Amino acid sequence: MSSLNARLLISVSVLLLFFFGVTIVVLDTAFRSAGEQAQADILDGHLMAILAAAEATDTGGLELPADLQEPRFGAIGSGLYAELRGDQGDPVWRSRSALGIEIPTGESPASGVRQFLNESLADGTPVLTLSLAVQWELPDGNYRPFVFKVAESLDSFNAQIAQFRRQLFGWFAAVALIMLLSISVLLRRLLRPLRQIENEIGEIEQGERAFLSGQFPTELTGVARNMNVLINSERARSDRYRVTLDNLAHSLKTPLAAMRALLNQGKSGDFADRFNEQIDRMDEIVRYQLRKPAASQAENLVLTLIPVKQEVARLVEGLNKVYHDKEPKIETVIDNDTRFRGDSGDFLEIAGNLLDNACKWCERRVRITVRPSSGNKLDGGMNLFVADDGPGIPVEDADALLQRGTRLDESTPGHGIGLAVVKEIAESYGGKLEIARSDLGGAELRVTIPAS
Amino acid sequence: MRLLVIEDDAILRESLAAKLKEGGFAVEQAADGREGLYFALEYPIDLAIVDLGLPEMSGLEIIREVREQGKTYPILILTARDRWEDKVDGLDAGADDYVVKPFHVEEVTARVNALLRRSGGWASSLMTAGPVKLDMSRQELMVNEVAIELTSFEYKIIEYLMVRAGQVISKTELTERLYDQDFERDSNVIEVFIGRLRKKIDPDNTINPIETLRGRGYRFALERGPSG
Repeated sequence: MSSLNARLLISVSVLLLFFFGVTIVVLDTAFRSAGEQAQADILDGHLMAILAAAEATDTGGLELPADLQEPRFGAIGSGLYAELRGDQGDPVWRSRSALGIEIPTGESPASGVRQFLNESLADGTPVLTLSLAVQWELPDGNYRPFVFKVAESLDSFNAQIAQFRRQLFGWFAAVALIMLLSISVLLRRLLRPLRQIENEIGEIEQGERAFLSGQFPTELTGVARNMNVLINSERARSDRYRVTLDNLAHSLKTPLAAMRALLNQGKSGDFADRFNEQIDRMDEIVRYQLRKPAASQAENLVLTLIPVKQEVARLVEGLNKVYHDKEPKIETVIDNDTRFRGDSGDFLEIAGNLLDNACKWCERRVRITVRPSSGNKLDGGMNLFVADDGPGIPVEDADALLQRGTRLDESTPGHGIGLAVVKEIAESYGGKLEIARSDLGGAELRVTIPAS
Repeated sequence: MRLLVIEDDAILRESLAAKLKEGGFAVEQAADGREGLYFALEYPIDLAIVDLGLPEMSGLEIIREVREQGKTYPILILTARDRWEDKVDGLDAGADDYVVKPFHVEEVTARVNALLRRSGGWASSLMTAGPVKLDMSRQELMVNEVAIELTSFEYKIIEYLMVRAGQVISKTELTERLYDQDFERDSNVIEVFIGRLRKKIDPDNTINPIETLRGRGYRFALERGPSG
């Protein structure tokens, strides 16, 4: 239930269900009681007609004409039955329609009282019965009790009710469905700006977009504006951080260089050497601290999708100048559309340090291979391998080399620190740096960074 | 050869300049970006050393401008920022190499020599042409494996000519590039030095290393050896 859309749809469905349920029950009850009332009235009418048609006989009984006004009394199994019982409960007369049908006797009501009962016939057919007990004045002046009873099968009534319910449910279901459909369409339209914001933030995180587009309804412009302000300040902060570091580097290292130059003029042997050593140490600390990864995973908003091939091409061009005399043959195996999601400075730091080391150590050949970490070129992760045909790195030295700032070979300055920086950056992206042997004969340094 | 050093830190700039002069170069100095760009565009420069973090105008801008104006001399960057981003930006803008602060001054002179040699088309600091061998890193000239005693000015001339072996170099160019101050442009000093060099390198007139082209200048005429 994390989606607004789902929440709204579910709440609306529950409300609709409740509302329609109540409506259905009310309508059904009203329809049913109206129907029952009508049924009772009709039954009463039949009873009155029979009463009117009854005539006393000389034998002290009652008799009814063979053909009553209502033809259904004359048709066998018509569903409308009538019966006249004497004081002993013995049937005096039965309508022709009741031939072969046992009308339930039920309880005789008190004299003069109409009694409606829901009963059922022997075969289970439900019937509504109306009984009326009367004291009939016979011609001889005596009164004799009789019970008139009419019964009507409820089959057709029930069928009507069922039919009504079917229609009721049908219509309401159709209406509910139409309402839900239109509400979900409406919701989709209403929530579209939210979905757009969500997509755009996704694109920003993927580095495909710099800011939110700003074309949102009034209620969201504030959110979008503040989001943009946040992104802006985040980027500015990251830039400011870098500028500060640059200035710090510049203002620390220039005096260090000046000190070194001054020492050089003095030429005081052992003293100068020891002083130089201290300068080296200070330099290394500054370099290591200042080359730490620029972006952390938390700063998603400042990351971009870096076109790996172009960046590596710039590096290779630069290194070809720097290693002009050695002329290493640098081969790049990178697809045109491979992208790394990160900070471009971090990427250059990884690729630059590894390529520089490889150029330093190789005989003639260096190869850089960059592949996406999964099958998808745009997922942002990468496997960056740099191989050379140099002496390689012995397994027992590999671990020490990866430790922070360790130098294996003092004569090649910066070797250790470069790898330590690469390792730190790779780890800040959730990846790792490994040292292996390359098929070119030398070392192969492998940076693997998973897609975020 | 005339070098330009653009660096705002006075101590660093001056000691660098002193070291380079010691190495036989004429050196121009600029303390800020604007001045530096002026020198870089208007002076006869063979190589520029540019600090990236400069007041008035950044080193990158200077490099871009210099390249845009069609200057092709080598440029060496001095930088405190050793992030690859900055190095690549510098190399992209048209620099040829970089040195990261705090450097040893010797490192800078070594790179300068390498760049100059490279710009003359030599692959190694040991330049050989026929029996003549010039070791830029040791500032030594040998003919038939015998070291020749040269004054520093004589060395500057032969180095300048030999780095550009095969090219015609005018007297004016030599004067401009080799003197620290430009004085007496049309003096015969160069002719005198060339004469002395010829005597020292080729006393018997057998190999004729330096050719005179009337009205145009001089040319180091020996075929470049394997390293060229």
